[in-house]
Amino acid sequence: MLFVWREALVGLRRNLTMTIAMIITTAISLGLLGAGLLAVRTIDRTEDLYYSLIAVQVALDEPTSADDPDCSTPVCTDLRRDLEANPLVASVEYESRDAAFARFQRIYAGQSILQLVRPQSLPATLRVTMNDPLRGAEIVAQFTGKPGVRNVVDQRSTVADLFSFLGSVRNVTFGLAVVQAVAALLLISNTIQLSAFTRRTEVGIMRLVGATRWYTQVPFLIEAIVTGVVGAVLATGGLVAGKVFFLDRLLSGRLLANTIPPIGMTDVLGYVGPVLVVVGAVIATATGYVTLRLYVRT
Amino acid sequence: MIRLENVSKVYPTSTRPALDDVSVEVERGEFVFLIGPSGSGKSTLLRLLLREDLPTGGSVWVANWNVGRLARRRVPRLRQRMGCVFQDFRLLANKTVAENVAFALEVIGKPRHTIRTVVPEVLDMVNLAGKADRMPAELSGGEAQRVAIARAFVNRPLVLLADEPTGNLDPETSTGIMTLLERINRTGTTVLMATHDRQIVDSMRRRVVELSSGKLARDDDRGVYGVVR
Repeated sequence: MLFVWREALVGLRRNLTMTIAMIITTAISLGLLGAGLLAVRTIDRTEDLYYSLIAVQVALDEPTSADDPDCSTPVCTDLRRDLEANPLVASVEYESRDAAFARFQRIYAGQSILQLVRPQSLPATLRVTMNDPLRGAEIVAQFTGKPGVRNVVDQRSTVADLFSFLGSVRNVTFGLAVVQAVAALLLISNTIQLSAFTRRTEVGIMRLVGATRWYTQVPFLIEAIVTGVVGAVLATGGLVAGKVFFLDRLLSGRLLANTIPPIGMTDVLGYVGPVLVVVGAVIATATGYVTLRLYVRT
Repeated sequence: MIRLENVSKVYPTSTRPALDDVSVEVERGEFVFLIGPSGSGKSTLLRLLLREDLPTGGSVWVANWNVGRLARRRVPRLRQRMGCVFQDFRLLANKTVAENVAFALEVIGKPRHTIRTVVPEVLDMVNLAGKADRMPAELSGGEAQRVAIARAFVNRPLVLLADEPTGNLDPETSTGIMTLLERINRTGTTVLMATHDRQIVDSMRRRVVELSSGKLARDDDRGVYGVVR
């Protein structure tokens, strides 16, 4: 077994420039894959964060909003009963015009906009918490235009832009990862062929002495696996650097603070890192195996 | 030990058969010279025995293996029980003398402590004990061939095949190699040696099998290179 490792090491050193190219390409590919995985994770968390806050707001029209502190007019009670009976709805909360005005004053305390707003300009609303936040549009469709309803707003649509941005970040990184992965696979396959070709006499002699196919080919497989694993480790290092020097600053900056939850070190080292090592090793092994089967007949 | 039954071999690129209906039997412990001019089929015969090629007709037996019918994955087992030596030595250039010999043992999974004791013994037998750490490039032709013989013999093969082992060596060195092969033969190993070397064949007086254009031309018990009348 020691022999096999020694052979693999010799093989990697012999094609040093090729080995480096192979490792860099693998690292970039896996790094992009890792970035994509982190994006997915962030999207999930951001969605969790927002979905616990957002709701569908059914704003009531002027006559219904006026002078009704607890949703006691027949129009309001009917609407509330309909909403509560709807299977998509988890709970319904009534916010009267006065309560809305009080909240407005709290949020914009000390700002000039307060002077311009009167309670009359704010509607009373029924705040609907959904069982499934993604299906707000169905409530919008069902309740828009009903008697007493001014308009229905699905708050999710206001954060949809953010999600679609994060989603495209994810798609682009995955796309680049695939392209890079193809390059890495071809490089690994090519290097193994080259390696096998430079060692064909040697392998021939080994076979004559009675070495099994497995015995002569495992060193090539180990070369591939070492490449995959080293690439994955470098990729993880790159992601850590990217997190510390770029993302942490970006997400703690004024613009995005509290908009997107930060990525923790455990996300990188505890989740993405191991995934990359496994993916790198498995893909490199598979590539090596297929290459040996298809191209190296000794 | 070795039995060829009506063996023919036609290479796809050639119209003339390299071997044409050859039947030969070699008993355990025999020393046999395989002679004939270049292109007479000597190397082809050895290649068939090693399962580097398949016969197009007839069957080839080594010990109890039907070599032509052997499954691919069992070929290493066959070769592990055979030693082979070539005109061009075929040593692994990036391994030392000792590592080259040890390799034949590593391949069959011998434990390290066995390898550590057996390799020096065999190198001692071929008079190379002092050169265990040399690289093949630093050896003379005779030394390189002795390493090859050590490697072929180290796991006590049933059969030792030698394809013109003295072809690249001067007469004196050749004699040394022959002495070594004889010693190996005396341990009970069957030796089959293909050669052009008239002097060696004549001086040894062993069984001679001659091929001519792929056909068996002669099989003498204690023969010489030229035909005796």
